[in-house]
Amino acid sequence: MAEKNKQAADPSAHEHEHGAGRYVLIWAALLVFTLTTVITGRMDLGGANLPLALIIATVKATLVVLFFMHLWDSEGINRLVFGVALLFVLVLLAGVFGDLLTRMPDALPTGQHAHTLEGGDMPTTPALNPHAE
Amino acid sequence: MSSSDAAVHGHGGHDEHDSNPHLAHHFDSIATQNHASRLGMWLFLGTEVLLFAGLFLGYAVYRHFYHDTFRFASHTLNLTLGTVNTIVLISSSFTVAMAYHMVKKGNNKAAAGLLVFTILCALAFLCIKAFEYQHKFAEGALPGKWFTFEEMKGMPGANMFFTVYFLTTGLHAFHVIVGMAILMWVLKKVIKGQVDASYSIPVELGGLYWHLVDLVWIFLFPLLYLI
Repeated sequence: MAEKNKQAADPSAHEHEHGAGRYVLIWAALLVFTLTTVITGRMDLGGANLPLALIIATVKATLVVLFFMHLWDSEGINRLVFGVALLFVLVLLAGVFGDLLTRMPDALPTGQHAHTLEGGDMPTTPALNPHAE
Repeated sequence: MSSSDAAVHGHGGHDEHDSNPHLAHHFDSIATQNHASRLGMWLFLGTEVLLFAGLFLGYAVYRHFYHDTFRFASHTLNLTLGTVNTIVLISSSFTVAMAYHMVKKGNNKAAAGLLVFTILCALAFLCIKAFEYQHKFAEGALPGKWFTFEEMKGMPGANMFFTVYFLTTGLHAFHVIVGMAILMWVLKKVIKGQVDASYSIPVELGGLYWHLVDLVWIFLFPLLYLI
């Protein structure tokens, strides 16, 4: 049954003109990015650690979405749906952080308040917290 | 299934209902049906992204409040196991994409092998995760009031890191289990020859779900283990 169609042309494969090589390439890129993020994640880059890790993760996710999930050559409506979902994630983050970052200290949760007032008693390890604010 | 050759040539659409057993009667053609199936899957994946976005937001808020604690806590996780699990998931994402490719090529045998490998990767991921959980349980690095982790005693927000850790990785692990069930269902279809080069939408959409599981982990890994 499966063999019978080996040579059959695929009618609905406008999104599938590339070969297996593209998948191998993406896989290799994902592995390289993973090792990169592990190595840079353990280096002390000050404030750059978080943005760098997020950028690498976003690049990896983009590769998976575009090529493993075929959004690159999928119908446009699917790109729209996924794009809108991501847009609403940004709206969620913007709304919540817009609130948090503009609060008066008194209006912060109690744990944070205590931390701000008596942060000195927090055990810190110099090697792990080189740039404690 | 003897009509699948006819389905391949029946692309024009007027007699597809007679020739293609996969085509539901309310769709004009298999192309329209595939389009609708894909759109439905992407809508579902959009809701999945938003589901996890809530947890990522929780992480971001508590990380903002307890920056140093979160940084310290992330170093108490086992980076080696986390990295191995990342490689396992990325590789399984690759093999599931290859399985779809092989079905498209009409090579169900290779596709079945790749799907079995993918399911084994999922199993390996869960075993490693269970091992990590067990270690954290033993240390008392548990969420909420069960938090008794000596190493981080007195650090404000320490239990919040592990609350977020268990919620995010727990929900993700649940998705891995669901993903395994879906992949087994796809594997059954591949072995029985119920999917082939002309009808591969179950493999494609099952694969999409698995890629989403990978996608979530791509973000969870650096946020929890690295920074």
